[in-house]
Amino acid sequence: MIKDTWKFQPFTEEPIRLIDEEGNWIADFPLDLKEEALKKLYRDMVRGRLLDERYQIILRQGKTSFVAPSSGHEAAQAGMAMAIRPGFDWLFPYYRDKTLLAAIGYPVEMLYAQMMATRLDPNKGRQMPEHPGLKELNVYTVASPIASHVPPAVGAAISMKIQGTGQVVITTFGDGATSEGDWHAALNFAGAQGAPIVFAAENNRYAISVNFEKQSGSPRISDKAHAYGFPGYHVDGMDVLASYYVAKEAIERAREGLGPSLVEFLVYRYGPHSSADDDRVYRSREEVEFWKKKDPIPRFERFLEKRGLWTPEEGERLREEIKAELLAAEEKAEAAGEVPPEWMFDDVYGTPYWLLEEQRQILLSEL
Amino acid sequence: MAVLNIVQAVKRALDEEMARDERVVVLGEDVGKRGGVFLATEGLYQKYGPDRVIDTPLAEAAIIGAAVGMAAHGLRPVAEIQFADYVFPGFDQLVSQGAKLRYRSGGQFSAPMVVRMPSGGGVKGGHHHSQSPEAYFAHTAGLKVVVPSTPTDTLGLLKSAIRDDDPVVFMEPKRLYRAIKEEVPDEEFTIPLGKARIRREGKDITLIAYGGPTVEALEAAEELEKAGVSAEVVDLRSLVPWDKEAVLESVAKTGRALVIAEAPRTASFASEVAATIMEELLDQLLAPVYRVTGFDTPYPYVPDRQYMPTVTRILNFAKKALDY
Repeated sequence: MIKDTWKFQPFTEEPIRLIDEEGNWIADFPLDLKEEALKKLYRDMVRGRLLDERYQIILRQGKTSFVAPSSGHEAAQAGMAMAIRPGFDWLFPYYRDKTLLAAIGYPVEMLYAQMMATRLDPNKGRQMPEHPGLKELNVYTVASPIASHVPPAVGAAISMKIQGTGQVVITTFGDGATSEGDWHAALNFAGAQGAPIVFAAENNRYAISVNFEKQSGSPRISDKAHAYGFPGYHVDGMDVLASYYVAKEAIERAREGLGPSLVEFLVYRYGPHSSADDDRVYRSREEVEFWKKKDPIPRFERFLEKRGLWTPEEGERLREEIKAELLAAEEKAEAAGEVPPEWMFDDVYGTPYWLLEEQRQILLSEL
Repeated sequence: MAVLNIVQAVKRALDEEMARDERVVVLGEDVGKRGGVFLATEGLYQKYGPDRVIDTPLAEAAIIGAAVGMAAHGLRPVAEIQFADYVFPGFDQLVSQGAKLRYRSGGQFSAPMVVRMPSGGGVKGGHHHSQSPEAYFAHTAGLKVVVPSTPTDTLGLLKSAIRDDDPVVFMEPKRLYRAIKEEVPDEEFTIPLGKARIRREGKDITLIAYGGPTVEALEAAEELEKAGVSAEVVDLRSLVPWDKEAVLESVAKTGRALVIAEAPRTASFASEVAATIMEELLDQLLAPVYRVTGFDTPYPYVPDRQYMPTVTRILNFAKKALDY
């Protein structure tokens, strides 16, 4: 069944927004999410924020070596998560997606295990922190080289189309990624193939220190979809409902055979690029404070409060509950114990190679 | 038995594997209706259709990157890069994505794919149609690298590469595409990756080669025989994994070895083989192991043939080893 009416216009100059700063529903269509779904969105956002804060603590405790702050991205990520069919659709994320991953059901203890490289990490501690991946949920393991996961995401989508599986790929990336050649090559191929994929830009306006004006002469990432022959949506990524509804529509279009979409979520990164970055060098505290006033979580609280779905007390209770959950997950991840050094030689190839066996013996003789 | 050249062997391998396993798809520039610029995919589009023989945009990063994602999602893609010299826009996809997917995911995901590319010189192509970039790939953990030199080996090794569970860089010596014909068994067969082939037995010196210069190594062995020297020729066929056992066994017997390859010498796979022989067989060697390779210049348009290890160059180094 091909739908001929869609809620959203591509290529708008102003971002698509469904709730205003005061928390009023301003859309021209009725809200059709049940209380349970609204509460899930809220819970996912709060969990993402608290997880991000907790990562800073384990960093200071020396339990991890690197954190990529994601506070400010929660609405876009929680919204996307609710639009995905977890474990059916495939997700090709980047390294700043902890809210998204936790929201689709990636066990939080496994996220922690990846951060601390313990045995509970299904990726066996092979990568630096903030690089999770989970086959069970079709979450393609994150890679550091910017945008390098976007061509593989397109390949998976083409495979879905060839095999007629009805699945969709969602791939996320930051604004910096949209300057990489591989990003353009991937979008171009997806357009030519009509592949079922949603390209989700989490535009937090900074690629480490370089602001978006220096990244591109184009005012909007969404506009770039024009050149590849598919719609580009410009969305207020600090509005969780706009994020959800636009992601949902883009995913539906892909699932119905209408091909790719590019969705640009305008967000802001409250923290530095990473634990190895000092953002005071390149942006003013006033700017950060300005964006903190637009924090997606209080904004959604105002929305929920107007509907009788939230009180400060309930909010506090939820935070305490999630904190306890996170702490339990952290303890579980830590208790799994460190990855042993000789695991280094596993999974280079699917079959044994004499060279690696020789080298494993060298290592074992040193232990 | 049918007589096939190397291009026909590639085509037969692809056809047989596509018929055997519907997960096998071919993608690349001009691979569809055109059948590839070297005609290695000729007829496949007509037989298997546009979903399994995919004409791609002209973008190697998209070709290789998409192959990684297709493979992770369950297909068995065979990507064609039109010339090995054009693989570099897709280098990051091979090295950062394909090669490391199994490892970085702790074995959760893998990329069973083949990237075919015509490589090597001797076709008057200048540096951008003649290079032998195998060392870049052999240097990357997680990739397998195969370089056949005969139609039979091409057929058997390509089929194994397609069935392999890891990414395989399959480099086809383009100057031999139509230069060598031989009878190839009609029944289905595969040749395992990682096994060298003794192309000629001998007892005085071992000539280790792979790909294009295997031809010159065999010619040099003929010449040496006329001079009363018995040369053994070992065709590596696979660089990763490589057959150390076969190489050491041969050199232990002859006491002398040349490692012959078209690629420039510095940090080459020939250097890896030579170093291994010297580490493991020093007390049995009668002479240093010499590398007979292309020069450390970009590949020139003129002189095209003299860049590569010629029979003369091989014979000069053989004399050096024999006179040592």
